[in-house]
Amino acid sequence: MISLIRSEIYKIRKQSKTLYALAAILIIEGFVIVSAYYQGTGIIDLLLANLKDSFEFKGNLLNGNLIIYLILNSLWFHIPLILMIIISGFLTSEYKDRTLETVLLQPVNKLNFILSKYIVSIGFTLLIVLLLAVSTFFVSYWIFGRGDLVVYLDGLNFFESDEAFYRLIYAFISGANSMIFFSVVSLTLAVILKDATKTWIVSAIFLICSNLLLKIDFQNEFLNELFFSKLTDSWQYFFYYKIPYSTIYFKNFMLFGYTLITMIIGIIIFKRRDIQV
Amino acid sequence: MKRLSFICIFFISLNLISGQEIDNDLLQIKKRMDSIKSFNANIELDVDISFINMPTKYGKVRYKWGESTKVTSDDFIMLPKRGLDLTLNEIFRHPFITVNRGEEYHKDVLCKVINIIPTSSKANFSIATLFMDVGAKRIMKSEISSKTEGVFTTYLGYQNYMDALPVAIEVQFTVNSVKIPLRFLGKETEVDRDVIKQEGSKTGKIFLTLSEIQIVK
Repeated sequence: MISLIRSEIYKIRKQSKTLYALAAILIIEGFVIVSAYYQGTGIIDLLLANLKDSFEFKGNLLNGNLIIYLILNSLWFHIPLILMIIISGFLTSEYKDRTLETVLLQPVNKLNFILSKYIVSIGFTLLIVLLLAVSTFFVSYWIFGRGDLVVYLDGLNFFESDEAFYRLIYAFISGANSMIFFSVVSLTLAVILKDATKTWIVSAIFLICSNLLLKIDFQNEFLNELFFSKLTDSWQYFFYYKIPYSTIYFKNFMLFGYTLITMIIGIIIFKRRDIQV
Repeated sequence: MKRLSFICIFFISLNLISGQEIDNDLLQIKKRMDSIKSFNANIELDVDISFINMPTKYGKVRYKWGESTKVTSDDFIMLPKRGLDLTLNEIFRHPFITVNRGEEYHKDVLCKVINIIPTSSKANFSIATLFMDVGAKRIMKSEISSKTEGVFTTYLGYQNYMDALPVAIEVQFTVNSVKIPLRFLGKETEVDRDVIKQEGSKTGKIFLTLSEIQIVK
């Protein structure tokens, strides 16, 4: 099992698509920073426009914490999309290149093989989120400095710099769980569909639907609380003025359950399927 | 003839108004405030507006005679546009007349109430009402109707009878709900436009607490 995981890591390191993923993350980060640099003041002015009649503002809200929050919001769509494309490619490329056939003709356990794929995919996801977080914190604080964070979530919430810092870190940690879910889904889709293009399309549709369903009220308490799409936003809850920890723990726990179920479904399908590609 | 007598009465009235003296008690209070050459104090700031959640902020307030009061902080702070004019400089910047409105109790203190009506178009308020504690020579409450920023009501609390500067300031004002740029919205944020329209403007309050006040006379 360990050797299979090492082998998967080796493949990822050698694949150019890994570099594309890293580059995509940094490009997204760069776009947000550049647009914030040129348009950030305008966004804040718009946000506080009505208050300007009554208040004078002292201090700078266009700071590193706001930029990190804006980049963090790429966890809604951009980052999971990139992860789903890259991670599904871990398996679809093996189907396409017929290396899967070669590997499984060796004395390799199918369960261990696909399990190692899932484990490495989860590790890769965590690595990407970590890279995003570290680079975001470093670059944002370096260019924009520190300061209070303003977020519109159930009102205008202001957080002092130190508090904003730990809220952002917790949000990245919680967001990593959501990213793992999407990564595992994409790998399971790759198991089912085998073809790269089909998997990409279905993954993108899954992500879009998931985002849309998050906003829909099902008029049913059970579905509103337990349906998978309602569980992927736990990281955003760290920006309510009073953090609803129980909701965050519940959402993360349930989403982890969905991740495990999705993984088990993928493993079962892969094990039952004929080796022939 | 009627028209001529109306014009005469009008100009005589106008002359009487323009010749009206500024309330003597207000001048006494202003004189007392002007004796303060400068002051420094620590300031604690709390915001009470329904759609704003902000922790208590801390800063320093500095005043130097002839200059406006300055508040500095390491954090982001929101200050009311009115209510920090403790030395009445803003009111006295342009000519005005005062109208005595009698006496009224405010926080168990019998206050003399006057209206201040600017006679210059340069003034940035249309009318102000001051509640003066004549005995203690200080302002207890003020209502300033600004020309562009709405009405600001300020309540001033003092530590003891001798103090010229307040230790607690409460500023009330009307504020419109925020306009939200969509890009700034979190996914869970639901914007109920009907509710926002119904709510319209709201009353906000800012509480300022001054401590370690150092006055130079």
